[in-house]
Amino acid sequence: MNPEPIIKLENVWKIYQLGKTELVALKGLSLEINPGAFVAVMGASGSGKSTLLNMIGCLDVPTKGKVYLKGKDIAKMTESELAQFRGKVLGFVFQEFNLISHINCLENVMFPMIFQGVPPLKRKEKAQEILKMVGLENRMVHQPMELSGGERQRVALARAFANNPEVIIADEPTGNLDSTTGKMIMELLKDFHIKQGKTMIIVTHDPNIANYAEEIVNIKDGQIVKNHLTMKKVLWSK
Amino acid sequence: MEQIEEYFKIALRNIRTRRLRSLLTVLGIIIGVFLIISLLSLSEGLKTTINQQLQSMGGEMVMVMPGGEEDIFTSMLFGGEKLQKQDIEAIKKAKGVDKVLGFSYTGTVARYKDESKQIAMCGYDPWKESLDVLSIFQGWSLSEGRWPSKGNQILIGQYIANEIFSKKIKAGSEMVIKGKKFEVAGILNSLGNKQDDSMIYMDMKVYQNLTGEKQGTAAYAIVKLEQGADENVVKTAIEDSLEKTRKRRAGTDVADFSVITSEKMGEMVDTILGIIQVVIIGFASIAIVVGGIGITNSMFTSVRERTKEIGIMKAIGAKNSAILAIFLIESGIVGIFGGVGGVLFGSILAKGIDYYGQINPTFYFTTTISPWMIIFALVFSFSIGCLAGFFPARSAAKLKPVEALRKYE
Repeated sequence: MNPEPIIKLENVWKIYQLGKTELVALKGLSLEINPGAFVAVMGASGSGKSTLLNMIGCLDVPTKGKVYLKGKDIAKMTESELAQFRGKVLGFVFQEFNLISHINCLENVMFPMIFQGVPPLKRKEKAQEILKMVGLENRMVHQPMELSGGERQRVALARAFANNPEVIIADEPTGNLDSTTGKMIMELLKDFHIKQGKTMIIVTHDPNIANYAEEIVNIKDGQIVKNHLTMKKVLWSK
Repeated sequence: MEQIEEYFKIALRNIRTRRLRSLLTVLGIIIGVFLIISLLSLSEGLKTTINQQLQSMGGEMVMVMPGGEEDIFTSMLFGGEKLQKQDIEAIKKAKGVDKVLGFSYTGTVARYKDESKQIAMCGYDPWKESLDVLSIFQGWSLSEGRWPSKGNQILIGQYIANEIFSKKIKAGSEMVIKGKKFEVAGILNSLGNKQDDSMIYMDMKVYQNLTGEKQGTAAYAIVKLEQGADENVVKTAIEDSLEKTRKRRAGTDVADFSVITSEKMGEMVDTILGIIQVVIIGFASIAIVVGGIGITNSMFTSVRERTKEIGIMKAIGAKNSAILAIFLIESGIVGIFGGVGGVLFGSILAKGIDYYGQINPTFYFTTTISPWMIIFALVFSFSIGCLAGFFPARSAAKLKPVEALRKYE
């Protein structure tokens, strides 16, 4: 028996109104992602992959169709419930890291835990532990501006792991990094997936990155064109 | 509650991050609250001073002053027309009047030993009778020395004897006023207010010789009523008598004098100072509202600058209510900091005025800062802060996470 999908999209449309013009970003897209899956969403620039990620991440709602997260229709959830979901069930990693620039690395990692009501001491202990896990134990009190791109992305990973989410959503996590650093980030994500059985959804246009996934979803013009298990040759290592 | 504490810390950190802008925004509120505290403390002080004077006047006395009732405060503060000899005679003739004491005062320099100080001196007419009336009905008594009996003898208040000069003045000492030597015959016990304790008292004739004022005139007249006389009935009698006298004098057919009972004086003080206080609060509130607009402006700028940060916060689980609370607390803190700063600077100015009054006895302004004034200023500034921050905070809370995240820093 197949497990209940953790994420399910049914005939999802996203239409942006740009003045008098309509821009259709997603055209009746349907997708199911099972718990513990490692999925790469691939596609060219403007194909709708980031829009899809925003739907999965409860950052946006579809114009038509249904998005279910853990069986719940996100269109029927209040803003407060969506925020709770984003904080507890999901962890985000962005291409531009999106760290808060005026607080240090430790505080950045502690930040999501504030909104989940984790007590200060526990928050600090946990943040230190995760930063150690991503190899940044010596950078805890540094401001993001004092770190390299790779280090910043590792802080962002640590922040995404902070509330022990069930799903990690990464939008071009290696897009701003060189290949060696990118590989390091992917290894960390893979590690997290394997050791803790978390669901990973990664948006990328890089086949090397996509090859870390167990499943690749190809998108073109807002529609899924191919969905298959990874069979390609691994370019870095695997 | 724990969450609010966390939001408070985040808000404080945000304020620290934008130190200069926060400081300038706080300054806007400081100015408004400073105005409220300093001006209200001055008007409260003025009220206290006048009420003390009224209490020392007592219920069996009325005052007659030249000029209409509307000029009373200007003539008290800055001097003005004098009561003429005929006026004083007319007052004496009115029914129910027992005794009339004319008095004038002015600021001058007095020397004791090698030290010269600015003091206030006051002349009473008739001198001997005044001393009797004042000691029986106003509670004048000597802490040392004796009552003056000669023209070159003076009385001094407690404050002059002990505070103004570096060396304390003893009865029998010599003081020089406007080049003339005087003997300090006696030192009065405190009369209950600083102004009266800071005076040198002397015979009106001597006073008028020193100042060059016309003999027989007086700045004011204190009228002692006959026993059992109703002060309002006597007031009318004095007015009638004065009007008749004045009408006989060319060009003075207008009632340019005022007969003030202690009750009337109290009412006038309350009314005038009440209006002054409303006006002060009105103007200072405008200053605070302008400061509040400064907060709104600063917070809107902050929301724009931090749109992406708000997007990040939402992506990592911040609810709309959390964003709203953080921004509201931030603007509330700016408001309360402004309030505290304004209270502090306003109090410093008020204390400065008090201190200046202590070293310059002729400067009659004192200040009073009441707890309600401080509470009002703090609550008002905090409320303005929250109110001013509400719309920017709401716009921050309403931002859609996906749109906020798209913004570049």
